[in-house]
Amino acid sequence: MGDVLIGVGGAFLAAGIFARFGRRLGLPTIPFFMVAGILFGPQTPGLVVVEHPEDLELLAALGLILLLFHLGLEFSLDEMVSGGRRLLLAGGTYLLLNVGGGLAFGIALGWGTSEALVVAGAIGISSSAIVTKLLIELRRLANPESRLILGIIVVEDVFLALYLALLQPVLGDASGPADAALDFLVAFAFLVGLGAVARWASGVVGRLIDTPDDELLTVCFVGLAVLVAGVAEEMGVSDAIGAFMVGTVLAGSPVAERIERLVLPLRDTFAAAFFFAFGLTIDPGDAGDVVVPVALAVLLSVVLNVLAGQAAARLNGFGRTAALNIGLTVLGRGEFSLILATLAVGAGLDPRIGPFVALYVLVLAIVGPLLAGLSPAIARRLPRRPRPEPVPA
Amino acid sequence: MNPPAPRKPPLTSPDLTDHDLPGIGHRYELRSADGGRVVVVIHHSGRRDLYVVEPGHDEPQAVVALTDTQARTLGAILGGAYFKPAVVEEIEAVIGGLLIDWFTLDAGSPAVGRSIADLEIRRRTGMTVAAIVRDPQPVTAPEPGERLQAGDQLVVIGRQEDLARLRRHLAAPPGPDPSEAPDG
Repeated sequence: MGDVLIGVGGAFLAAGIFARFGRRLGLPTIPFFMVAGILFGPQTPGLVVVEHPEDLELLAALGLILLLFHLGLEFSLDEMVSGGRRLLLAGGTYLLLNVGGGLAFGIALGWGTSEALVVAGAIGISSSAIVTKLLIELRRLANPESRLILGIIVVEDVFLALYLALLQPVLGDASGPADAALDFLVAFAFLVGLGAVARWASGVVGRLIDTPDDELLTVCFVGLAVLVAGVAEEMGVSDAIGAFMVGTVLAGSPVAERIERLVLPLRDTFAAAFFFAFGLTIDPGDAGDVVVPVALAVLLSVVLNVLAGQAAARLNGFGRTAALNIGLTVLGRGEFSLILATLAVGAGLDPRIGPFVALYVLVLAIVGPLLAGLSPAIARRLPRRPRPEPVPA
Repeated sequence: MNPPAPRKPPLTSPDLTDHDLPGIGHRYELRSADGGRVVVVIHHSGRRDLYVVEPGHDEPQAVVALTDTQARTLGAILGGAYFKPAVVEEIEAVIGGLLIDWFTLDAGSPAVGRSIADLEIRRRTGMTVAAIVRDPQPVTAPEPGERLQAGDQLVVIGRQEDLARLRRHLAAPPGPDPSEAPDG
């Protein structure tokens, strides 16, 4: 037991210290948690904090559950509807360009169809955590386009839940098309069932765990989230979807706001364990095989994001600085890419997906915030559209 | 996915707009007199960001991050809790039609030395004295028998339209004879 505790404690500490270093440079934490896992894992020479990745398995699973639970909790259909057609169009355009482009890129890689679907999601869906943090740190919450950026993120979050369900046959152990269709139907029915609970019975579920005591509320919502995630996993639907749906159920209950506050430190802690554990599975020696695909994927993402930003800005009547702000801020990739990679590796898909996504997330983690911070300066240097010369008086 | 239970009072100023920032918290935007904007972002964590955007700009000229306590202190200062400028006759906080105001009794007020019950504040004005700010010890939820003293700062709650009546009631003598000495 002692050695396991030393490993777990060392993992948290190493992840924390690494990410602190990154924060000094203004970089997001998620890739640094992962890098700590790579460096202090069994795959690299030097200090090995965690010898057996399975020691962290349960903690990492809790991290994944809490990440998606929190996402579901923040999910509000009303927010999406109130954003209106233009928000849906902006989010839809973003997804069409990025997931579509990612799918084409994944097929071009030639690793297989299942792999292409995972790659499409991994390079097509933004990281809510990185984007929101970037907006706060770049002090852009007062900008008119920031609401649109967060709206696009919400649309992407909803898409992610549907995409996970869609990927179920790919990531499950389906043996044929009929089996795969059944897997998808079960996953879809699960989504619809819990969606119905979220729509009509969230008050009942909320009352079940509601107590004025923060301590008891925390214990109860963690229990509920983990239990439903486990049931989902047993039914052949991933624990990620289960956790997301519990979040959406509680989002409509009166306790939602308190849970949002209480879940944050738990989510942050266990998510760090999840990212660290992902790092443990990465062998830097494999990086050589994926350098070229990663470079191409990063380039593709930058181009598609800038295009999607232009489209979103055009739809909402924003100028070119706002357009570039949108494209370069939404560029952040992190938790979802890593979640998809974890699920893919767990399902026995092409092992190159692990290092590919790890390196892709790492490069964008450094390039993304840099570009986003520079976007007003870049926008100023862009050639202006021709304007009529002012006539001298 | 249900609409959240009503937790926020409706906004009372036409200059103020608000909306949710998913994943972050809530955003309020106040249009200032010169056409600029003041944006307040309240994070789920309790942190408050204050953005000041000058007219004609999209990027803020100043950004301040405040903790929950600092934000409350600043809010109280802005609301006039510590110092009321003489030029402003009334500083009120209106929350969903309910008004909270501060009212200082000067030594000349006929209410000095009389009790709340005696003054019949609630019956005559519709307002309630919620607390008395007084040295060295403030009084919360004062009993009807509480005697008011010169320099007392009364925290009153009620409907907006009743405030003027309260001001008249405590500034002018309640009885027919203004020179009548307070009892006791």
